Amino acid sequence: MSDGHSDGMDLEALRDGVRAVLTEQASHEKVAAFTNAEGVRDEPLWSQAAELGWLALSADEAHGGLGLGSSELAIVYEELGRALAPLPVLGTMLVVEALARGGDAAQQAAWTPRLAAGELAGAVSMLTPGDRTTRLTLSAGADGGVTLDGVAADLLDGAAADILLLLAREGEGLSWVLVEPALDGVVVEKVATVDRTRRLGEVRFDRLALPAGRVLMGDAGQIADALLAHAALALASDARGGANAVFEITLDYLKTREQFGKPIGSFQALKHRCADHKIALVASGALVAEAVARMASGDPAAGRYALAAKALATEVYARVAQDAVQLHGGIGYTWEHPCHLYLKRAKLNEQLFGGPAAYLDRVTDLLLAAA
Amino acid sequence: MSVQTATSPTTRRFDPLACKDDLDAFRAEVRAWLEAVVPADWHARMTGASEADYVAFQRWWFAEMGKVGLATPHWPRDWGGADIGIRHQVIIFEEIARAQAPNPDMFVISLYHLPATLFGNGSKAQRDRYLTGVKERGEVWCQGFSEPGSGSDLASLRTRAERKGDVYVINGQKVWSSYGAFADYCLLLARTDPTAPKKQAGISYFILNMKAPGVTVRPIRQATGQAEFCEIFLDNVEIPVADLIGEENAGWAIAQSTLSAERGLIIFELSERMARTLDADLAEAKRTDAAWLKDDEARRAFTRAYNDMVALRLMIRALMQEIETDPHMGSTTMPTYIKVHFSELLRRYTEFRLKLGGLAGQLRQPIVLGGGHQTGNVMHDFLLSYAWTISGGANEILKTMIAERALGLPR
Ligand SMILES: Cc1cc2nc3c(=O)[nH]c(=O)nc-3n(C[C@H](O)[C@H](O)[C@H](O)COP(=O)(O)OP(=O)(O)OC[C@H]3O[C@@H](n4cnc5c(N)ncnc54)[C@H](O)[C@@H]3O)c2cc1C
Repeated sequence: MSDGHSDGMDLEALRDGVRAVLTEQASHEKVAAFTNAEGVRDEPLWSQAAELGWLALSADEAHGGLGLGSSELAIVYEELGRALAPLPVLGTMLVVEALARGGDAAQQAAWTPRLAAGELAGAVSMLTPGDRTTRLTLSAGADGGVTLDGVAADLLDGAAADILLLLAREGEGLSWVLVEPALDGVVVEKVATVDRTRRLGEVRFDRLALPAGRVLMGDAGQIADALLAHAALALASDARGGANAVFEITLDYLKTREQFGKPIGSFQALKHRCADHKIALVASGALVAEAVARMASGDPAAGRYALAAKALATEVYARVAQDAVQLHGGIGYTWEHPCHLYLKRAKLNEQLFGGPAAYLDRVTDLLLAAA
Repeated sequence: MSVQTATSPTTRRFDPLACKDDLDAFRAEVRAWLEAVVPADWHARMTGASEADYVAFQRWWFAEMGKVGLATPHWPRDWGGADIGIRHQVIIFEEIARAQAPNPDMFVISLYHLPATLFGNGSKAQRDRYLTGVKERGEVWCQGFSEPGSGSDLASLRTRAERKGDVYVINGQKVWSSYGAFADYCLLLARTDPTAPKKQAGISYFILNMKAPGVTVRPIRQATGQAEFCEIFLDNVEIPVADLIGEENAGWAIAQSTLSAERGLIIFELSERMARTLDADLAEAKRTDAAWLKDDEARRAFTRAYNDMVALRLMIRALMQEIETDPHMGSTTMPTYIKVHFSELLRRYTEFRLKLGGLAGQLRQPIVLGGGHQTGNVMHDFLLSYAWTISGGANEILKTMIAERALGLPR
C-alpha cells in the first residue's frame, strides 16, 4: 500500500460507514446467494463500492482519487473480509498502486481515473515472497511496440478484471505490462477456487502485439516489492476482519446452544479454546495494526512488518475458522451456515500471494539481513 | 560481595530525570548511566554465585537504580516516584535490556505489587511508611496469597485473622511465597469472617512484618534447584490494626489490583529483555553461521516466535496507553491477555532453544543468578518458564476468566 498523506480522515467513521453498507449489501444471505450463482463479482455491490468512493481511496487526487493511504485502505480490506464480500478490490488497488509507482503521466491519466471510479477492475500477477519467476516473456514487436508470449496463471480476481497487470521477463530483466482482456485474441479463463467469494484467472498469450505504452517504466523489482507488501497487508487485514467475525458468530452460538441442560459455552474445554483464540486475535491484530501504521508513515521496515503480519494473521484466521466449524457441530458443517465460507476464505488467504512458510522464510531473511 | 566493589568509581553524576523533557537526551543519559554502572563482567561473576552473593548483588543493583531515580520511576510523584510517562518507560526498559543489566527480580513485589495494592486502598500513613521504605531502604516484600489448600481456588484460603483490641492475631500457613526468605514485609491475605455467605467476602488484606514473633519461613527447593520461594508459618502473629489495608473483609477486591499488576506491567521489562534475547540469538546465529539457519523448521519456529514477540511488545504498548488514560485500569482485560501470551511464548521459545541445544543443553551448568530468562543454561530457562504459566494465577484459570469476563461465556 502506498504511503498515505491522510491526516483528515476519521478512520472510525470510515469503518462504520463501510460496515453499515456491507451489513446490508453483503449479508450472509446475499453472499451465499452470490456463491451459489457462480458469478465472478457481485455487480450491484461493485457499483455501490465505486459510488461510495472505496475504490478511489488510494488513487492520487490528480487522477480522480482521494489521495488517502494505507490506514484507510486497511479498514476497507478488513471490513470486506469481515463481510466475505465478493469484490475484486485487491487486484484493482494493486493496479492503482503500480501505476502510481511506475506509470508515466500518460499511463496514469489513461488508467487511474477509470480504476478509481470502478469503471475498470484490475488483477495482477500472483507474486510470492522471494520469488520473481514468471512464465511470460516480453520482446520487441512491430512499430516500436511489444509482443507478449506465455502464460499468466493464478491471477486473483483475474476473471473479474477489465485490466491485467502482468509481470513478464524481458531479456535479463523484468517488466510490468498492462493488458486488456477485451483485446482480440485474449481470453481469461475462470479458475474456480473452493472459496467461491473469489476466483482466480488464467490467460495465455500467443505473440500478442501491444503498443509500447503498455509497459510500466518504473523499476519492476521495486514495484513487485511494493505490490507484495500491499497484498500482504490487504490479506492480513481481510484475515483480521474475517477472524473476528467468525469468532463473534461462534461466541454467540456457544452462549445460546444448550446441551446437557446448559449452554455449551459453560464447558471449560470450549472456554479455553475461545480464550486462546481471543488472545491470538488480540496479538495478531496488534501486529497488523502496527504494520499498517508503519506503511502509512513510510517506515523503511514496513515491508517486513507487512509480511510478518500476513503470516501471523492468516494463520490465526485459519485456526479460528477451523475451530468455528468444530464448535458449531453439525450446523457448522452445513452449506447454509456461514462458517464454511469463512473457513474457505481463511484457507485461501493463507495461500494467496504465497503460503505461510514463504512469508516466514522471507521475514527470517530480512531479520537476518538486519541483524 | 565482589561485583559492586569491582565497579570502577565514576566521577560523573548521572541524572536522567533532569533531562526528561527531551526524549533523546533522556535516552542518552540512561544509556550513559548504564554503561558506567553495569559491570561488564557481572554475568561471569554471578554465574554459579551463592545465594548470599545473589542477594547482595540484587541489593546493590537496586540501590544504584535508586540513586538516579530509576528504581521507582513509574510511581506517581507524591509517592516518591518520577511520574514519568509511557515513552520514558519504554526508553528505560529498552536501554536496560540493551545493556543486559541485572534483573531486580527480588524487588518485583516491592516495585509493582505493593504500589498497585496501596494505590486505591492504602492509607496515607501506609503509603508514606512503606513506599518510602522500598525507595529509600530497599525493603523487600513478598506476597502471601497461596496456601497449601488454596492455590487456584484462592478464595478458599483458611489462614485466620482475629481482631483482639488493637491487633489482629494471625494463625495459618502460606506457601510458594517468592523471595519470602529475604522479605521484610508480606502482602498477606487472611480470613476475618469465616461465616461470610460468600467466601470472597470474608477475606482481609494485611501488611505482615516478616520479623514479627510467630513468623517462621522455610525455603522450598524448586525444579530448577534454586530455593526462590518459601513456606510461611504463622503462629499467633500480631498485626497492628493500622496495617490492615482497606476495610475489614474487603481484601478480595484489593487483591485483584495486586494480581493485575502482576499480569501486566512487570511483563513490560521482561518483554524488552525477550526482544533483546531474540535479536541477540539471531545475531549470534548469523555470526557463527549456526546450523539451524539452514533448517527450515527451526527457522520458521524462530520467526513465529519473533512475530509473537513483536505482537507482545505491541500489546504492552497498548496497555501502557490504557494505563496512561486510566491509572486504575479497573476493567482492562489486556493484562491477562499479555500474561498468557507472554508465558506461552516464553515456554515455546525456551523449548526451541533447548532443542537447538541438543544433548549439551541437558548438561548441568552453573546459571547466572539475576539473569532473567536467559541464564546461560537453556534447560534452566525452560524450567523457569513454568514460573510464568503457573504463578499469578495458572493460565487455565486465566483462560476461564477471559472466557467469562471478556467474552461473556456462561459460568
Ligand atoms: C514460581 C512461582 C512463584 C510463585 N510465587 C508466589 C508468591 O509469591 N505468592 C503467592 O501467594 N503465590 C505464589 N505462587 C503460587 C501460585 O500463585 C499458585 O501456584 C497458583 O495460583 C496455582 O495454584 P496451585 O499451585 O495450588 O495449583 P492448583 O490450584 O492445585 O492447580 C493445579 C492445576 O490444576 C489446574 N486447575 C485448578 N483449578 C482449575 C479449574 N477450576 N479449571 C481448570 N484448571 C484448574 C491449574 O491450572 C493447574 O494446572 C507461585 C507459584 C510459582 C510456580
